[in-house]
Amino acid sequence: MLKDLVNEKLIKLQIEASDWEDAVRKAAQPLVDEGKVKTSYVDDIIKGVKEMGPYIVLTKHVALPHARPESGALESAIGIATLKTPVEFGNEDNDPVKYLFSLSAKDSSEHLGALADLAVLFEDKAFFELLDRTTDPKEIMDYINK
Amino acid sequence: MYKALVCCRAGMGSSMLLKIKADQVISENNFPIQTEHGNLDSLMGFNGDLVITMEDLSVELKDKVPYALGVRNIMDKAEMKAKMEEFLATKEK
Repeated sequence: MLKDLVNEKLIKLQIEASDWEDAVRKAAQPLVDEGKVKTSYVDDIIKGVKEMGPYIVLTKHVALPHARPESGALESAIGIATLKTPVEFGNEDNDPVKYLFSLSAKDSSEHLGALADLAVLFEDKAFFELLDRTTDPKEIMDYINK
Repeated sequence: MYKALVCCRAGMGSSMLLKIKADQVISENNFPIQTEHGNLDSLMGFNGDLVITMEDLSVELKDKVPYALGVRNIMDKAEMKAKMEEFLATKEK
């Protein structure tokens, strides 16, 4: 379940980022701080985008930064971040990105349920309105838990 | 029933979401497509009918698989439906 993978410490709202790389690093830093991924995992996300293009940008204004488990995923987790100023990733269909859901996946079965919940959230306008409005991670958790 | 492999580059995040959305569109429309989930490595030895992936990767795969369906916006069911119909149309000939 999504609520088992997210917590208030993994939510960073209205962060300032100078470009996509800065945005990914800042969005994923809480996962490093909380022992969910190694720094190498974040490095691999950046490297992946540089080598293969913005494959982590999935839908309008939304990126799902992630790498392979062997890049250094320690525990499955999802971080949520919003940007004060959206950044361009170079994905012409879905730029600019404002919301980043950093994903640490240890194995595929463990977080399938969480991704299903995320898929539902991605369609939930009220959730994105809340993301735009609040600076309080607790409000986000309350919404996810309800 | 046609067999589809849903994959992305890492095989962990985007392709799982893509499979969830693809399965929704398939069941809503009763398309004769069955999906399995994999990564780029699963393409080796894949003997199904089509590969569902993100647009950028589908361009690379076009010549390597029987049919590559590339999705631009993962949450856009209308896009996915139209592209599956395109695939099915090629099978009806």
